[in-house]
Amino acid sequence: MVETSGDIVKGVGRCMPNRTRLINYYWQRTRRNKLAIFGLAFIIFLIALAAIGPLFTLDPTEANFEETNIPPVRFTIERSVYNIETDDFTTTKISGTWKHPLGTDSKGRDMLAMIVSGARVSLLVGLIATGIAIILGTIIGVVSAYLGGWVDNALMRFTDVMMTFPFFLLLVLIVFIFGPSLAFIVLAIGLTGWTGIARLIRSESLSLRTREFIVAAKALGASDNRVVFRHLIPNVISLIIIMATLSIPGVILAEAALSFIGLGDPTVPSWGIILESGQHTLDTAWWVAVEPGIMLFLTVLAFNFLGDGLRDAFDPKSNV
Amino acid sequence: MRKSWLSDYIVKRIIYSIIIAWGILTITFILVRVGPNSPADKYLANIAARGGDPAQVTAAVEARYGLDKPIYVQYFNYMGNLFRGNLGWSFSTSMPVSELIKTHWIYSFQLIFLSSLFAAFLGILIGIYSAVKQYTKTDYAFTFLSFIGISIPNFWLGIMLILIFSVKFGLFKTYYDTTLPLFSLDNLKALVLPVITLGTGMLAGYVRYTRSAMLDNLKKAFVTTARAKGLPERTVIGKHVFRNALLPLVTIIMFDLGSIVFGGAYLTEIIFGIPGLGQISFNAIFANDYPVVVAVTLIGTFMVLLVNLSTDISYTYLDPRIRYG
Repeated sequence: MVETSGDIVKGVGRCMPNRTRLINYYWQRTRRNKLAIFGLAFIIFLIALAAIGPLFTLDPTEANFEETNIPPVRFTIERSVYNIETDDFTTTKISGTWKHPLGTDSKGRDMLAMIVSGARVSLLVGLIATGIAIILGTIIGVVSAYLGGWVDNALMRFTDVMMTFPFFLLLVLIVFIFGPSLAFIVLAIGLTGWTGIARLIRSESLSLRTREFIVAAKALGASDNRVVFRHLIPNVISLIIIMATLSIPGVILAEAALSFIGLGDPTVPSWGIILESGQHTLDTAWWVAVEPGIMLFLTVLAFNFLGDGLRDAFDPKSNV
Repeated sequence: MRKSWLSDYIVKRIIYSIIIAWGILTITFILVRVGPNSPADKYLANIAARGGDPAQVTAAVEARYGLDKPIYVQYFNYMGNLFRGNLGWSFSTSMPVSELIKTHWIYSFQLIFLSSLFAAFLGILIGIYSAVKQYTKTDYAFTFLSFIGISIPNFWLGIMLILIFSVKFGLFKTYYDTTLPLFSLDNLKALVLPVITLGTGMLAGYVRYTRSAMLDNLKKAFVTTARAKGLPERTVIGKHVFRNALLPLVTIIMFDLGSIVFGGAYLTEIIFGIPGLGQISFNAIFANDYPVVVAVTLIGTFMVLLVNLSTDISYTYLDPRIRYG
């Protein structure tokens, strides 16, 4: 009995709209938003930079105390150096060189190399932590909506409790208690960031659950698993994509902010850690704080532009 | 009859908040107990250097803190202490944590209060203007700027402001002066950069929310009615559209207070050296001073809980259409 009913449902599945055509449709809608395309282009550039950039740059960890605080190309700074023989300060002009296009920090490390390897860390943190949060949020949201009753009640009250904690303060507490290793920071962000997603998926699933196609699938004898994976989740996938795009910047910023207050992984040169060290050398080497910040800012901006464009494209009510 | 369901609703909300509060305290307790640290850790290096026995010291310290008791006794002690307002002892500053918080909360409060005021006031004004002038160049400019405001990392913005206005032009001090009296013009001047740092993200958010809430309501039929009655445009926008857009805005402003503002204030205080709760938590992290870090997180969380509760209750007055079962 179960076998045959499964086949019937499979037949129904084939009548669904052509997937590539649907993706093409959404792509056409997204493409009309210029800012979203700028965002997408920057994200692709960033991924390429993080993936193959480190092959072409210098070693980001190599300190060189003969070339400290060199400004970026086209910039010149004046530096007073105490001369022990004449007992006087001599002012020398230092210009940026193409050997270090973005300058060097107070330990003589190449800024370009540090920014590039920082991109790798930030992107990895953003993608993995968001992935954990999305998977957890989707599971909790769907289970809550689908099972209902006391399970729903318990899960949603737990979500309420977790939502009351200010995200960053909870993160500070967890990382402080368990120690700042990068893997743990990623896990902590993922394990605290799922609440909004769970709520959204739950309310969306609740309204989908009573719709005709789900009722029909159930009437045809589809198992719970099949209803959830074949009908419920495909229908919330656009929501998941938008949520993921819009939560990645928050996650990247959270990691940077943790690094900034000294709860980052000291062994990994993330943008937050470079920024933190740059804060102390504002008067001698401003670029150390400026450059990672610009990268953070552009990355967050790009994801926000893309997320906003996707939301408009997926929203049938909006005329893009 | 109306009064009775209202107060029923309020009582329900209060009981619900108490349950959430219990959840918050329990999760915090579990986190601290599961964590690998022991209050004895900070003595161990010292003791080992003098040739003492670490195991003996750990046992003694844990007995002193009641950590040798069964876990449920520890749990009740923890709850009891918090209930009496005893937040523990801060060893790095040698005073009770509650004393520490009493002397420092005002700095966080003034920063958050002024930033919220600045962001809400300016954000709502710009949002209304943007909505009324929809699809003009100014509207596009404000929309684009609000995107930038939302995306700019606030701790970086703070550093840039210091770099430009303090280091380069020398207009402001690079550090907050704690000797200034709280209600003085100098203090207000010292808070200009921190307020911009914390307020910009919120401001940009409010511009976007106000604009979209205004646009939603501008399409409604009652606006056409109001215009047809011959009301001046000012009255239509101010009294009819804005009044209706205000409710979702209040929700968002209140929600922001929890999700963004406390984290933002934490970082802003550290950048500018403002001795608020974020700063004491930051110092406590380096001193491994557990009770302070836990207390600051708990205080932030309970503020959010209170704000949520008061938002819910104020709704019953703000929007008489809402009926609660």
